[in-house]
Amino acid sequence: MKLSDIAQVIRSKNAGPRRLTFDIMFGSDADYQRVAQSPAISAEVIGRLYSVPAGEVTIFPYPVGRAIKIVLARKIMAGDPGDFDVYGAQQHAPLLGIEL
Amino acid sequence: MSASGRVLRELRAERRPLRLLGASGQLGYGVPTPAFNAGLARKPDMIGCDMGSIDIGPTYLGKGEVATSPQSTRRDLRKVLHGALSLNVPLIIGSAGSAGAGAHLDATLEIIRDIAKTDALSFRMAVIRADIDRGLLLEAVSGGKVTGLDDMPDLTEEEVTEAANIVGQMGTGPFRKALEMDVDVIIAGRACDTGIFAALPTLLGFPTGLSVHMAKIIECASLCCVPGGRDPILAILDDEGFVLESMNPDRWATPISVAAHSLYEQSDPFTVHEPDGSLDLTNAQYVAVDDRRARVSGAAWKDSADPTIKLEGARWIGERALLLAGSADPRFIAQSKDLLPKVAIVVRDLVCEDTPEDYTLRFRVYGVDGVRMNVPPDEAMPGEVFLMAECIAPTRERASEVVRTCKQFLLHYGYPGRLSTAGNIAFPFTPPEISVGPAYRFTIYHLLHLDDVDALFPVTVETL
Repeated sequence: MKLSDIAQVIRSKNAGPRRLTFDIMFGSDADYQRVAQSPAISAEVIGRLYSVPAGEVTIFPYPVGRAIKIVLARKIMAGDPGDFDVYGAQQHAPLLGIEL
Repeated sequence: MSASGRVLRELRAERRPLRLLGASGQLGYGVPTPAFNAGLARKPDMIGCDMGSIDIGPTYLGKGEVATSPQSTRRDLRKVLHGALSLNVPLIIGSAGSAGAGAHLDATLEIIRDIAKTDALSFRMAVIRADIDRGLLLEAVSGGKVTGLDDMPDLTEEEVTEAANIVGQMGTGPFRKALEMDVDVIIAGRACDTGIFAALPTLLGFPTGLSVHMAKIIECASLCCVPGGRDPILAILDDEGFVLESMNPDRWATPISVAAHSLYEQSDPFTVHEPDGSLDLTNAQYVAVDDRRARVSGAAWKDSADPTIKLEGARWIGERALLLAGSADPRFIAQSKDLLPKVAIVVRDLVCEDTPEDYTLRFRVYGVDGVRMNVPPDEAMPGEVFLMAECIAPTRERASEVVRTCKQFLLHYGYPGRLSTAGNIAFPFTPPEISVGPAYRFTIYHLLHLDDVDALFPVTVETL
C-alpha cells in the first residue's frame, strides 16, 4: 500500500521563505497509528526522496491532529533566482508513492 | 465615543465572553457576503482581517506593489468598513496592502479615504506604520542585535542600505495602543497575524495563551474547518477557552480539523514564536461542542526574556523578461538538458559581442523538471513540454534583447539527430517574449533583538 492510498491530505508549503513543510493527515486514528508506527516515514527515506542529508530532516508526530509533519530546509530561498515553487505548494509529489 | 472606546468600556464594566469575527485571511481576494452577514448578525465585539503574507515572495515587498486588484481590494474594504461601522465595533486590518510597507499601507489608506468620501462615512482611524528605520537597523547590526532566521546569513550594512523596503512584523502591543486611542478602524502595516485578534482580549485581561492561540486560528477565517474555506469565522473567548464556528453552515470546525490547522505553514506544530513571547500548544485540547463547533483550551504563554521583531527586506536584482514556448519533438525533449545550455552559449556570443555578460539566463522545461526539486533519473519523457526561458538583466531593454535572441536561436538550433529542421519550438501567440518588470529577492529575513519591541511602530490617528 502506498501513502497516497491511506492519507487524507498530503501537502507541502513554505514555513517562512527558507523552510519547506509537509503535512500528512489521516482520516482515522487507526490509519494515523499504522503509518506513525511504521518505519516508512523516516528521516532517511525523506532525505533520499528530496536529496538532502537525513540530519536536516525534522519529523513531528502530531496525534492530536492525526498528522505527521516533516520540515526541510529549502535549497533555494523562496523567490530567489532559480526558485521553481515560490509558495512551496507543489513539492509533495515524491511522498505520494512511499510504500508502507 | 468611538468603537474601541465603547467596546473597552462595556467589557470592562461587565466582564463576559468576547466575540471576535475573523472576516478574512487574505483581504482583497473576496469576502463571501452570506457568511459575512451571518457573522454580523452574531454581534461580534470586533472584526479583524489579515491582508498580507511573506508567502507571496519578494517582489511585492520590494516594488511596493499590492498583490490584489484595486477593484477587489476596494470591494472587500468597503464591505468590512460598512459592517464594522454598522455595529459600532472596531475593524482591525493587519499587513495592509499585501506586504505592509509604507507604499502598501498608503495605497490601502487611499482606498479607505475614497470609500469614506464616496459613501459619506465618518470615523476615527488609527494608522500603524511598520517600516524600519535604516539608521536604527545599521546601529543594531553593528551592535550585534540582528540575527539570521533559519540559517539566513548575517545581515550586512550593504543589504540594509540596498534593500528597497524593510518592514518589521509588529506584535500585539501597537494594536493595543491603537485600541486605547478611541478609534473605529485600525490599519496596520506588516504585522503578526496574531496581533490583529489578540490585542483586544489581552487588553481586557483574557489569558494571553488562549488569546494568541485563538488569534492564530481565526486569522485564516474558516481554513481550520472541513472543508476549509475563506468564509468568516466567529470565535467566542472566555477565561478557560474559546469556541470556533464558521459563518458558512457547510463548513465544520471539528476537533481534528482545528487541531490540524496548527500545522499550517508552521515549522513546529507545538510552538509559535511572537515578538514578546511564545505560545506553547503542548497541552492544547480540542473538543466538539456539536457537529460544527469546536472548543479549544490549554494553550500556554511564556513571556520572552529576549524580545525580537522579525524583519523582512527585499532588494532589486534586475529586470525580468521571459520567452514562452512549447515543444512536441521527442528528440528535442530527450536532449533538452544538454541542448539548452548550448543555446545559451550561442546567445551569449551574440549579445555579449560588445557588452559584458551582465545577465542571467535560465531555462525551465515543464513536463520534465520545471517544478520538482528532485526528479527520479529514470522517469519517462512526456509527449510535449512547456519551455520558459527567464532572463534577469540590468535593464528592461537588455533582458528583452537576451530573450528575443534566445527565441530565434532556440527555434533554429541544430542538434544531433534533428528531423524537424523548420523549427524546434511552438508559440501559442507572437510575440512570445514578455517583459515582466523589476525582479527582487529577499535579502533581509532576520530577527532584531530589542527591549521595547513596540516603539518601532508609530501609531497616528486621523478623523475621516
